[in-house]
Amino acid sequence: MTSPTPLPRSWYEESARGRLAHLLDAGSFTEFLGPERRELSPHLALFNLPRQFDDGIIVGAGALAGKPVLVAAQEGRFMGGAIGEVHGAKLTGLLHAARQLKRDVVILFDTGGVRLQEANAGELAISEIIRATLDARAEGVRMVGLLGGRAGCYGGGSLIAGCCSALVISEQGRLSVSGPEVIETNKGVEEFDSRDRALVWRTMGGKHRYLIGGVDLFVGDDVAAFRAGAVAALERPALLDPAALASEQGRLERRLARFGDATDGTEVWARLGLPHPAALPDLDTSAFLTLANTQRESADAAR
Amino acid sequence: MRDWNMKGRDRQARLEAGRRLASGKVVAAQDLVAFLEAVLRPGDRVCLEGDNQKQADVLAKALAKVDPAKVHDLHMVQSGVVLPEHLDIFETGIARRLDFSYSGPQSARIARMMFGGRIELGAVHTYLELFARYFIDLTPQVALIAAVSADRAGNLYTGPNTEDTPTVVEATSFGKGLVIAQVGEIVDQVPRVDIPADQVHFVVNAQRPFYVEPLFTRDPAAITETQILTAMLAIKGLYAPYGVRRLNHGIGFNTAAIELLLPTYGERLGLKGKVCTHWALNPHPTLIPAIESGWVEQIHCFGSEVGMEDYMRARPDIFFTGPDGSLRSNRAFCQTAGLYACDMFIGSTLQIDLAGNSSTITGSRVAGFGGAPNMGSDARGRRHPSAPWLRAGQEADPTGAPALRRGRKLVIQIGETFGDGNAPMFVERLSALDLADKLDLDLAPVMVYGDDVTHIVTEEGVANLLLCRDKDEREQAIRGVAGYTEVGRARDRKMVERLRERKVIQRPEDLGIDPLDADRSLLVARSIKDLMIASGGLYRPPSRFRNW
Repeated sequence: MTSPTPLPRSWYEESARGRLAHLLDAGSFTEFLGPERRELSPHLALFNLPRQFDDGIIVGAGALAGKPVLVAAQEGRFMGGAIGEVHGAKLTGLLHAARQLKRDVVILFDTGGVRLQEANAGELAISEIIRATLDARAEGVRMVGLLGGRAGCYGGGSLIAGCCSALVISEQGRLSVSGPEVIETNKGVEEFDSRDRALVWRTMGGKHRYLIGGVDLFVGDDVAAFRAGAVAALERPALLDPAALASEQGRLERRLARFGDATDGTEVWARLGLPHPAALPDLDTSAFLTLANTQRESADAAR
Repeated sequence: MRDWNMKGRDRQARLEAGRRLASGKVVAAQDLVAFLEAVLRPGDRVCLEGDNQKQADVLAKALAKVDPAKVHDLHMVQSGVVLPEHLDIFETGIARRLDFSYSGPQSARIARMMFGGRIELGAVHTYLELFARYFIDLTPQVALIAAVSADRAGNLYTGPNTEDTPTVVEATSFGKGLVIAQVGEIVDQVPRVDIPADQVHFVVNAQRPFYVEPLFTRDPAAITETQILTAMLAIKGLYAPYGVRRLNHGIGFNTAAIELLLPTYGERLGLKGKVCTHWALNPHPTLIPAIESGWVEQIHCFGSEVGMEDYMRARPDIFFTGPDGSLRSNRAFCQTAGLYACDMFIGSTLQIDLAGNSSTITGSRVAGFGGAPNMGSDARGRRHPSAPWLRAGQEADPTGAPALRRGRKLVIQIGETFGDGNAPMFVERLSALDLADKLDLDLAPVMVYGDDVTHIVTEEGVANLLLCRDKDEREQAIRGVAGYTEVGRARDRKMVERLRERKVIQRPEDLGIDPLDADRSLLVARSIKDLMIASGGLYRPPSRFRNW
């Protein structure tokens, strides 16, 4: 049966393996520690929870537009892409390899953060990943994060993303340290109604993050667009030095002063000088980019 | 001599009591509780309007605040028990007896209160059945209804969510009862007159719209590949061979998948124009792509759906709209249409037993029926022929004299063998029976009776119960599509194979369907945003369904 659909191949809809298959140059991917090795989580069985042979992350090497890269893809459909011990170790190992090989890394984020069932092991994994990230970046390795999966990029995952040299996001992508339910649970529904999805997207969604300089590139929800975005992000400067950090710190201080008391994304967009801020979520990719690129904040090579 | 107008005099007395707290017909919101205490009498039969969608919420809140010493032991006759206040009044003694139809979100609490004796239950009805009783033995003495706006004379605009209002007002007003409406605003001229002023006795300006639940919005992002497979089986195994043009869809994700497969899979099967042209249906957002690609000729609606108003206004050939341009829904008429003028009902359920009885009761919940039993039943009073109806009748009784043979409505239950939380859809004994025992009910709450069900569709295939000749065949046909559930594993393999040879059971491969083709890329829209785009931006999804 032939596919009748004229729709693009949705990044949001695809599995981690599906994204990788169409992101990289055809036939270029080699997986490390693949599912046939059955590196299972040592913790989940204690909770009677199902395990997965790749522990929800695929790591390996491939090529993007002819350029060799290391890649990691989180599977948001397995435990919300949560980071456990094995999952984290696979990513740490990949980053150590990147440092030694001085090879750029592309990470396909799709995670709610630390896997709570593996609490301490998961938290340790996050800090190891961040350390390995900074070590690799100190050697001039580029780290590109792609954000457009179902689970978003939250918690420890968002901290790792924050250490990348460049981030690419789609409208569907969400990037935030605390997730909507966490904020509601801690601060009350009056502060943040996690079921108001439009509010969630105005606060953590791809368009908002792009406008305030939390990410560097905005693309449509399409695997081909993410591929083009990843190629472009790999061209961006890799430099991570005290001057870059200082300038980003200054930018964040100015951002806080400018928007710190805003109560809604639309208020931030209005202060950025965007016309009809309330209509912004409904704009398609090209109309949004035309408007956004005149007014948005942009980050330095650190964020 | 007998007084032949006691009801009229009773209403006159209430009118006079009410007018002391009103200015003309208009009651101020702050006087509402005192007003209700003045016009209500202990033991009154009261209809507090509310169903699975719209709610007279301001009137419900006020009723819950009246003094139980003044107003008590009311007999509530209403479609929906949905808001907390609908049950609070039974806790405080304001109300005692209840006849209703649907209780969705209050299903657990209502069961507890019935069990604890706080509620004296009359019966659980279908919508149409309760409406019918409004005109026979449950005529309200007071109706508390909801409208969008009123003019100063009391003409009401009920707008897209007209739903039950005309029926409630007809029974109450002409039955000499009192009609009190909450409105969102009072205007010089209403956009159209849905309820004439002389049927409306008092109006309360709530200064905000009545509450509406977006109950029929199904997010395409949540549709699974198994649901897509069941939808393919239904389209190719039922819609195509029977040529079903007039139909009603239930509320679940399986039928949403069918709606989203029409412009892709259905188009490829060459079914456009041959099936799914005329509907009794709430305005499902998932039907937008099929409407836009020319599949649908006409839809009559039970109610409206939040966010669909502008879209329907822009498609007047498809929807029933008024001179003002907005939708006019009517639950009683649409239920009648679904019962008498549709050849098919297809919907999901939670439990099916070996006789084909189905129920949405699991655990201790009294969810009520809503409209499904009317949609999912054969109308014995039907007399007009149609090809699907005649064919179904012929399958059920192949030797009967054609001119004397009843047709049959296609009543289809669709679902996965294991539902939410891996609960099996097929069971030896319905949970509804346990609930009936516990609450000492005369009737177990069965949604669709086995003798009305004609087909069951699961990912295992299609079972045609019309072709079963006895109770054993029927049981094995059901077991044959029950997959790996206990019921399915206890099937008689030889008998199931014989049923398959007779096409009583059709597997995906028997219908030329490869389960691996059941992919989300077949959905014409995969997100709420796709639906909005398909509508040309006319569909405005509620905030909670937006992921942008």
